[in-house]
Amino acid sequence: MAESTFMGVPRSKIPWAPSIDYEKCDFCMECDEFCPHRVFERRDGDVKLVVANPENCVVFCRACAKTCGPDALSFPDKPATVALIKRLRAAETALQAGPDTVDKKEGEE
Amino acid sequence: MKLAVLACTGLDKAEGSVAREVAIRLAEEAGARIICPVVLNCTPARYKKALAEDRLIVVDGCAIQCAGRLAAAAQKKPAQKVIVSDVVKKTGATLGAGLRLGAEGLGVARMIVDDIEAAEAAACGRGPTSGEAPAGAEGATAAVRFAGPSDFIVVVHDKYEFRIPAEGFLFNANDVWVQVCGTRARVGISDYMQQHLTDITFVDPPPMGYVVEQFGELGTVESIKATFEVISPVSGTVVSLNQAVIDAPESINEDPYGAWIVELEPTSWEQDRALLVDGPAYAAEVERKASEY
Ligand code: SF4
Ligand code: SF4
Repeated sequence: MAESTFMGVPRSKIPWAPSIDYEKCDFCMECDEFCPHRVFERRDGDVKLVVANPENCVVFCRACAKTCGPDALSFPDKPATVALIKRLRAAETALQAGPDTVDKKEGEE
Repeated sequence: MKLAVLACTGLDKAEGSVAREVAIRLAEEAGARIICPVVLNCTPARYKKALAEDRLIVVDGCAIQCAGRLAAAAQKKPAQKVIVSDVVKKTGATLGAGLRLGAEGLGVARMIVDDIEAAEAAACGRGPTSGEAPAGAEGATAAVRFAGPSDFIVVVHDKYEFRIPAEGFLFNANDVWVQVCGTRARVGISDYMQQHLTDITFVDPPPMGYVVEQFGELGTVESIKATFEVISPVSGTVVSLNQAVIDAPESINEDPYGAWIVELEPTSWEQDRALLVDGPAYAAEVERKASEY
C-alpha cells in the first residue's frame, strides 16, 4: 500500500489514535462496531480489544469515544497535534524550497 | 476574518470628510475595524493584528493618497482601494461648499459604501447570482452574499460520482468545506462524505457564540449509518446556524454545498487557509480515499 499522508505529512508521523484505558474498558465492543476504519481488533484472552492499526484512525476524529459508556477512550491533545502538523509541514516546505525562503511571517524577531 | 478600513481623514478637504463618513458606515454596517491614519502613523504597532489578519479597505480623499501610502508603508496590500475625488469626478457629483458634509456629500459616501460592500460580496462566490442582487441598500446589512458553486469537478468511482466545486470552496482533510465571503465563513460537509454517510437524519450544531479553534469540533451529523464529527476548517466564533438544515437534515444529501451547517466569523483566516486545500486538490484526495476504501 502506498504511504498515506494527512495534510501533506506522512500519516506515520502523526500520533493520532485512540488509547484504551483497560481499567475502565468492559469490552462491550461498541467502539469497534462503530468505527469503519479497522482501527480496533478483537483478541482472545484477557484483553479482548486492542488498537491494532492506529494509522487507520482519521486524524482529529474522536467519534468512537462518544459510543463508549465507561469513557475508556482518550486521544492526543488536538492543539498540540495541529502544532506538530504545522511544524512538519513547515519543515517539508523549507526542505523543498531551500533555506533562504523559509516563511518569516510567523514569529518574526 | 474581519474587514478593516483605513480612511484618510483629510481635515482640509470635503473629500476627507467623505472618506471619514465611509469608514464610520463600514464600521456600523459591516463591522469593519477602523484604523485611524494618524494613530497608524505615530504608533503602527497598535494595528499590528488588524493589519496582519483583516481584509483592508483603503479610502482616500484625494490623489495624494495618504491612507494608501500608510498601508504601503505597513506592507499591507489592500483588498479594495477607493479615492473619493475620482468617484466625484466620475459620477459628476458635487460635495457642496465648505468642509462639513451636506446631503450631497452623504450621498457620495453612501454610494461608495454600497460599491465597497457589493465588491466584497462579489469577491466571494463569483457564481451565478442570477441577477437577484437586492437593489436597495437597506436589507444588506453585512456585506455578505454567498453564491453557490458554478463549476464542479466530478470524481467517478464504481457507480458513485462525487462532485467537488472547482472554486470558491476550500476543504480540510476531514471532508469539511468552508466558503469564505467577506467577513463570514460557512461550513458544511462534502458530497463525498455525504454519500459515505448515506441518509442523514440528524444535525447537532454547536451553540451560537461557540468559539472554535481550527480542527476543533463543530457539532455532529448523524446518518442511519454513522455519526460524523464536523471538524472545523477555521478558527472563529459561530454567528449563525442554518435552521433549515437542522429542521431538514436530508437537505445535506440533496445539496451538500448549499446546505451549510454553521456560519462563523473567522479569527485567523490567513493562517487557517494554509492548512486547507482547494477544489482540485481535494478532488485528488477524494479519488485516493474512494479507491482505498
Ligand atoms: S477516532 Fe474515528 S477513526 Fe479513529 S478509531 Fe475512533 S471512530 Fe475510528
Ligand atoms: S466502547 Fe469503550 S468499553 Fe466498549 S470496548 Fe470500546 S473502549 Fe471498551
